[in-house]
Amino acid sequence: MIRRELWFGLSFMALIVIGAVAVLANAPTITNGHLGLLMLSLVVVAIMLGFPTAFTLMGMGMLFTWLAYDRDWHRTLDLMVQSAFKTMANDVLIAVPLFVFMGYLVERANLIESLFRSLHLALARLPGALAVATLVTCTIFATATGIVGAVVTLMGLLALPAMLRAGYSVPLAAGAITAGGCLGILIPPSVLLIVYGATAGVSVVQLYAGAFFPGLMLASLYVLYVIIVAWLKPQWAPPLPHAERVVPLPPLSQRLAESPAAHALVGLLKGRRNADVPFSHVLKQLGIVALPGVIFLLLAAFSYKAVTTVEAQARYEIEEIGSVRSSAPESGGLQEPPVEGGLQEPPQEGGLQEPPSEDAQPAAPAGASAQGSLAEPPGASAAPAAAGVAEPTAPAATEAATQRPAPTWWWVTFAVFGAIVTLFYLFLSFARLEIFKMLLASFFPLVLLILAVLGSIVLGLATPTEAAAMGALGGMLLAAAYRRLNLAVLKESVFLTAKTSAMVCWLFVGSAIFSAAFALLGGQALVEEWVLGMNLTKVEFLILSQVIIFLLGWPLEWTEIIVIFMPIFIPLLDNFGVDPLFFGLLVALNLQTAFLSPPVAMAAFYLKGVSPPHVTLNQIFLGMLPFMGIQVLAIVLLYMWPQIGLWLPQLLYK
Amino acid sequence: MQSFLLAVDRFSTWIGKTFAWCALLLTLLISWEVFSRYALNKPHAWVLDAQIMLYGTMFMTAGAYTLSKNGHVRGDVLYGFFRPRTQALVDLVLYIVFFLPGIVALTWAGWVYAGESLAIREQTFSAEPLPLYPFKFVIPLAGFTLLLQGLVEIIRCVRCIRDGAWPSREQDVEEVDVEKLKEMVHVKDEDIAALDRVVASKEAAR
Repeated sequence: MIRRELWFGLSFMALIVIGAVAVLANAPTITNGHLGLLMLSLVVVAIMLGFPTAFTLMGMGMLFTWLAYDRDWHRTLDLMVQSAFKTMANDVLIAVPLFVFMGYLVERANLIESLFRSLHLALARLPGALAVATLVTCTIFATATGIVGAVVTLMGLLALPAMLRAGYSVPLAAGAITAGGCLGILIPPSVLLIVYGATAGVSVVQLYAGAFFPGLMLASLYVLYVIIVAWLKPQWAPPLPHAERVVPLPPLSQRLAESPAAHALVGLLKGRRNADVPFSHVLKQLGIVALPGVIFLLLAAFSYKAVTTVEAQARYEIEEIGSVRSSAPESGGLQEPPVEGGLQEPPQEGGLQEPPSEDAQPAAPAGASAQGSLAEPPGASAAPAAAGVAEPTAPAATEAATQRPAPTWWWVTFAVFGAIVTLFYLFLSFARLEIFKMLLASFFPLVLLILAVLGSIVLGLATPTEAAAMGALGGMLLAAAYRRLNLAVLKESVFLTAKTSAMVCWLFVGSAIFSAAFALLGGQALVEEWVLGMNLTKVEFLILSQVIIFLLGWPLEWTEIIVIFMPIFIPLLDNFGVDPLFFGLLVALNLQTAFLSPPVAMAAFYLKGVSPPHVTLNQIFLGMLPFMGIQVLAIVLLYMWPQIGLWLPQLLYK
Repeated sequence: MQSFLLAVDRFSTWIGKTFAWCALLLTLLISWEVFSRYALNKPHAWVLDAQIMLYGTMFMTAGAYTLSKNGHVRGDVLYGFFRPRTQALVDLVLYIVFFLPGIVALTWAGWVYAGESLAIREQTFSAEPLPLYPFKFVIPLAGFTLLLQGLVEIIRCVRCIRDGAWPSREQDVEEVDVEKLKEMVHVKDEDIAALDRVVASKEAAR
């Protein structure tokens, strides 16, 4: 007995073969180009049959190369080994194992439990607080690890029970977990973007800069959707009962506070008098309380000094590159949300540094990211909100400095952050202090790690490879800091890294020979001729290509789609004036939907694997549908306002 | 026979796992170089070549290891719905049609390629050159282990066609190991069962 899925798949394959044969039969003369198309259709069939894709590509590519070279074994073998070596010496793909390694280490640091708990307490007042906390946790954790399966499984174990017990509707809970878990493949540093960059020849740095805001946009749309649903339909996401929101205080603080809602600062200051609490405890709490204020004041002082001081050298440098980066509205927010950080810029070698080429060897001090001070580019006074280009004061550059008043934008930033810090202190109760401490231990380390890795790549301080290696080291330190790092964990991470990298990179070995064969046979020219013959406009072409990629997302995995089909799409882009960078962002968003489209959505099966038996697969699929809709909406938004994605790379690299 | 299959599995796994440590080396090497370049102001020209070699060696040699754990990406739309016997039949045919010619060619061509490189003692094009030919010998090494592992997989297919069930493999660390993840976040099966009762009672109430 053959099942329905089998019939569907088999008839799909038969359709492809029949189509290919029909094209061949109708062609006046069978050229090599037709052989190329035949190869393409055969490879789709072979992949659908389920044989490991890398070897399918390699074997088929070799056979057809042999045909293309008029049955010349020597040249076929040469091409084969050349394409293997090309992948081995690929200086873009080298970042793949490093980011994967970082992901496994961060995952094993096991921050997710405390991350979820602290976010859920911190966001308790929002409608749909648990679902929002789930989404935020997923976003951060998926971004840092990039492992969809692990994130969905872990959240299925942590967040699903919490939400179901709180009375959330099953589809909403399942949708939030699956949609959030998949964000890791879009938000940089993601492996998908490296793979796309390596295939399409687009700079990974630009892709990372470009994908950052679309990724954040998608995450915010998810959160917005959940909040709206929880507000309109409280029965789907009931507010947390009061008992769930209580933050347990450590016993010493408990003695200090009359009630958890008492103001922490006041309580701490008079704490010595009304309770027998060791002075060291009071001091420790006060130290933590003071932390945001101290950081704010330090940064304010440093940036004020830099803003009001004009160094001859700095001025020269900014004239050169400032015109590019001058109007940087609010780029400070991108850096480190709680602290104001401007764009960092290494001293002295701005010109050398600037191009996005990954070979550039930036020579800025690695520690410069900690305390950048703000310096104003001449053009920025026109844009008051600009956070400007920060510049570590070069110790050597002590040339005659002139004073000038701080610009408006500095005061604006100062006021905004000052207000935030003031609010923080005004509403700081003992309960909130505990939440802040929990966030300090789970949320901030991860966000800092992500931003440090991303920031150094995007700002050109380090190549993606270097940043990935530092990120992996950071992941190791993180795991060590949480006492999770031992030989067993390290071994697991290393072995998993080897397997995952082999999976991705062998696909490249196979596809290198395959695309070479396709090009040799002239299949590319035929496709191009055919597509141009359809007289599409740019919009029609984009829609058509995205629909094709969306459809391919059903039977194929994202790696296969990018590695096999992008080499066919990318050369067409030029004809329609589409930026390969922009196309890459659309593809990355589009492939998100592949993770959520029933019936093959991996995320759903991972969640089903750990959910109680009464949660059905259909409920999970039902929950994923609205989020899929949001993804499509995000694609449309990105298409209508390409600046969402292109603004940052253009600002930094054009 | 089964012990032979597992022995080859272990051999591939051993090679893959040994070279897997290149990932750690790579991390440390690059981190050290970043430190040396920025903090000590002492860049090293050979590091760029060395990191490429570490990366290439790691993933190439892990090919057979990954195959032995059935870890290479495959289209799962239909394959998952096939009975084991059909799966084995499809695999067997495609191993012979695609895998064997491809890998034999790769191994052979790689051997010749690396031999030529050895003959001229090829070095990297850099101010501080490293010998390049050992790196090129990784291609035939990876090809050879893959070929061996592929032959084992073919035997597995034949046995599966005969028995109607896949011969067992040795366990290995997995990306999503549900049991381990459960342990990590302290969730037990009883908790899930208890949760199920909550869900069921809510459904009944509706």
